[in-house]
Amino acid sequence: MTKILLVEDNEMNRDMLSRRLQRRGYEVIIATDGQMGLEMAQSECPDIILMDMSLPVLDGWEATRCLKAGAETKAIPVIALTAHAMSSDREKALEAGCDEYDTKPIELTRLLAKIEHLLGARK
Amino acid sequence: MNQKPFVDDTETYAQDIVETVREPLLMLDKNLRVQSANRAFYQTFQVSPDETENRLIYELGNGQWDIPDLRTLLEDVIPRSSVFNDFELEHTFPVIGRRIMLLNGRKLRAGSHSEISVLAMEDVTERRRVEADLKAIETYAQNIVDTVREPLLILDGTLRVRSGNNAFYQTFKVSCDETENRLIYELGNGQWDIPALRTLLEDIVPKSSVFNDFELEHDFPVIGRRVMLLNARQLQAGHHGELVVLAMEDVTERRRSEADLKAIETYAQNIVDTVREPLLILDTTLRVRSGNNAFYQTFKVSAEETENRLIYELGNGQWDIPDLRTLLEDIVPQSSFFNDFELEHDFPALGRRVMLLNARKLQAGHHGELLVLAMEDVTERRRAEEEVAKAKEASETANKTKSLFLANMSHELRTPLNAIVGYSEMLQEEAIDQNLDSFGADLEKIHGAGRHLLALINDILDLSKIEAGKMDLYLETFDLNILIDEVASTVYPMVVKNGNTMHVQKASDLGAMRADQVKVRQGLFNLLSNAAKFTQAGKIVLEAERQRMDSHEWIVFKVTDTGIGLSPEQIVKLFQDFTQADPSTTRKFGGTGLGLALTRRFCQMMGGDVTLQSVPGEGSVFTIKIPADVSEVRHDVEAVTASGTIASGTAVENTESLPDSGTCVLVIDDDAAQRDLMKSFLTKEGFCVYCADSGAEGLRLAKQLHPVAITLDVMMPEMDGWVVLEKLKQDVETHDIPVVMLTMVDDPQRGFTLGAADYATKPVNRRRLARIIKKYSCANPPCAVLVVEDDAATRALTRNMLEKEGCRVMEAENGEIALAMMAEERPSLILLDLMMPVMDGFEFADRVRMQPEWRSIPIVVVTAHDLTGEERRRLSGYVETILHKAGGSRDELLERVRNELDNFATPRLLNA
Repeated sequence: MTKILLVEDNEMNRDMLSRRLQRRGYEVIIATDGQMGLEMAQSECPDIILMDMSLPVLDGWEATRCLKAGAETKAIPVIALTAHAMSSDREKALEAGCDEYDTKPIELTRLLAKIEHLLGARK
Repeated sequence: MNQKPFVDDTETYAQDIVETVREPLLMLDKNLRVQSANRAFYQTFQVSPDETENRLIYELGNGQWDIPDLRTLLEDVIPRSSVFNDFELEHTFPVIGRRIMLLNGRKLRAGSHSEISVLAMEDVTERRRVEADLKAIETYAQNIVDTVREPLLILDGTLRVRSGNNAFYQTFKVSCDETENRLIYELGNGQWDIPALRTLLEDIVPKSSVFNDFELEHDFPVIGRRVMLLNARQLQAGHHGELVVLAMEDVTERRRSEADLKAIETYAQNIVDTVREPLLILDTTLRVRSGNNAFYQTFKVSAEETENRLIYELGNGQWDIPDLRTLLEDIVPQSSFFNDFELEHDFPALGRRVMLLNARKLQAGHHGELLVLAMEDVTERRRAEEEVAKAKEASETANKTKSLFLANMSHELRTPLNAIVGYSEMLQEEAIDQNLDSFGADLEKIHGAGRHLLALINDILDLSKIEAGKMDLYLETFDLNILIDEVASTVYPMVVKNGNTMHVQKASDLGAMRADQVKVRQGLFNLLSNAAKFTQAGKIVLEAERQRMDSHEWIVFKVTDTGIGLSPEQIVKLFQDFTQADPSTTRKFGGTGLGLALTRRFCQMMGGDVTLQSVPGEGSVFTIKIPADVSEVRHDVEAVTASGTIASGTAVENTESLPDSGTCVLVIDDDAAQRDLMKSFLTKEGFCVYCADSGAEGLRLAKQLHPVAITLDVMMPEMDGWVVLEKLKQDVETHDIPVVMLTMVDDPQRGFTLGAADYATKPVNRRRLARIIKKYSCANPPCAVLVVEDDAATRALTRNMLEKEGCRVMEAENGEIALAMMAEERPSLILLDLMMPVMDGFEFADRVRMQPEWRSIPIVVVTAHDLTGEERRRLSGYVETILHKAGGSRDELLERVRNELDNFATPRLLNA
């Protein structure tokens, strides 16, 4: 089963997205801040990471940079999720090393397409 | 009585008479032999009786009396008549010289002495000479009379004209015959019968023998209305008796020009008194000649308190202002005028005021040199300017706050909305799973409302981003068939809801396009949802095709409906923000009114547009036209407008999305080779480059693109670099763009950039200078500012302004001195005049830039508003020289440009 690491500090968003992904048959593990996300990425070896950008402790951009710098985590695809719809945010995310980008509110079909695209590319 | 003694007595008496008369006398017998002569004869001709008596008259004094005229007289005239009078004889006598003698002769019967001739000689030499002189003088006088250009009349005591002079006859167009011997009043049909003249001639002249400058204005038939100045002299003219000389001077013209002059003076005074600007007229000692009404009113003083006082003494010394002293005593004497000297002062009568002083030195005819000092009270204007600046600052702050607020709001609003939309969607799925159909419809309503709210927020955010210039394009290549199908299926429920049908017609060659997919989708969705909204039981058609126009491919979407349509007035309003065709439609149909405005702006951002045709009640056709490859068209469009001949599109083709102008440099240069060089160099440095081949084009692009920096060639035809620079600095849209001035010097093998950090025109306005100082002020005041300027007056003025801004001023009159000073002390700012002797501004700037430790000192170029012909010639000389030698100087030139740009702009980081 595909394991998705969802790094999201907002409880409702986390709950909603995790439940909807689970309904679609994914295994979802949760981290509530950047630091925790980084640690779980190392310990749990997820297939893909959905990363909110505005996170406490360590923000999404910094966490992504660390992930992409780490030997065992750099291959894991990261999709940035942000409420900021500015293209500069998208560029900032891509610059930090994110493989994809999506804006909130989540349009589930679009997000699922991106997830499957990245996982497919990986295989 | 004895007869004899009586006779003797008589003879003695006669002899006594003969001896007494002072006239030489000779007594001759009938043979013309001298019987005797008198003493006067002997004395006059310096001869003795022995040499004279008993001799023939012709033998006397070695024959000096043998004169043909005398022979005629004595031999022909006397024998026939016993007397002759006043026979004039001119003769050169050896002893007494040339003489004119008047001879008188009498034949006498002298008793026993028989017949004797008495010859009396009167020497009239002197008398004749005087008479000749008198004649000459009279001729001379007449000549003068005839020569003078002033008409003259000579009148006798009865006021009859003796004569007139030529000037008189010519002036009054009369002849001599019509004039002489006539009464003056009768002349020319009585045109001289003037009451004032009668008074003059009959009352005044007889009483005093002279009068001067009697002014007579009269309408003369022949010469029209004239003003004559009459002068008269009563003369005793010898045998002519008493005469009156009447001289007439025609002063009509003089009076007229005097009147004109007076009128002009009055006119000038009226202007002075009428202008609302207070004026003072000062003499060279700074004493007030006069003030105008505005001055007296403004400063609440009287003329008496003001005139003839030293300006500093006025109103209890309220004008004794140090700045004014500097101005009047240092600056004015060195230049004949100054403009816009700003003076801030606390005037007792009217409080703290900002005055703008202007002065002109005038040569005021007999008034000598005067200084006109005009004062404009700009207190209110300054206050208004400050308020505008404050307001602008406030609005900029407010705008920033707004942007920040919007960004925050979007985040804060979207997060809970995210939950609403997400949970309602989830619950719908669960309801279906658990067969809870009754919940489904309600959950759909919550979900729909949530999505609508989200759309509104997104629209508002998008629009504010466009307004803030922060909306970017995200270009990607996508398949149009897929996009159209997706949009059609999304909008389909809305179409059906109003009982409409929808037809989609896709051209077979549609294929893919490269654009911002989200924005294309949004535009298309907007048009279709509008059509669905405003059409009831009608037909909606979406057509999509590929068209080729202007050598570019375009994608055209056409949405046709049979809805309510729009009137021309409504169409005008349609694309405005927050405006629907009719306010009532908001209530009836809902919507934000932002959809079309946004759609249009999105299309325009991609180089396309939205157009509309409509007939009210019949329906509308909306057409979207977007380039099939937005990146290519955008580059090309800008390349064409930017440089005319040079395609600049290649400069940025490796970036995925379009560079915004915030990372671009604008190169303004008329020389294509120079432009190419700069472009390739700057492109390598990571800048995107736009080019303009003229000043006008440069200005247009600067406004449009707002580049991070501009490189500007000084020498260009039509509008040269300085003019362009000035215009850039005047325009609020472009004044903050750093400009690197480029020019060439005649130094062989070396190009040159003038690293001007800023720029100001002469005369430097104090406020502008203050802003410059503020901008470049050093960390520890007082900042040392070096003023390099050859004109002493301008230096003094600048120093004055700078010191007021709290700066320490170093002055140098040329580049060489300035460099020497800089070696002693490093200034924190340099104000540089370009045109100076010894070492000019270009060379100076060059030298400063060569020293690493001086490189960072900002140089502000101060230059005359208009370069003189000489300066232009000099500059063009530089350019010509360097064009032959440019090859070797390239690297250094480019290095300099790089350094200058480093100060202003950092190249964009390109995505790999």
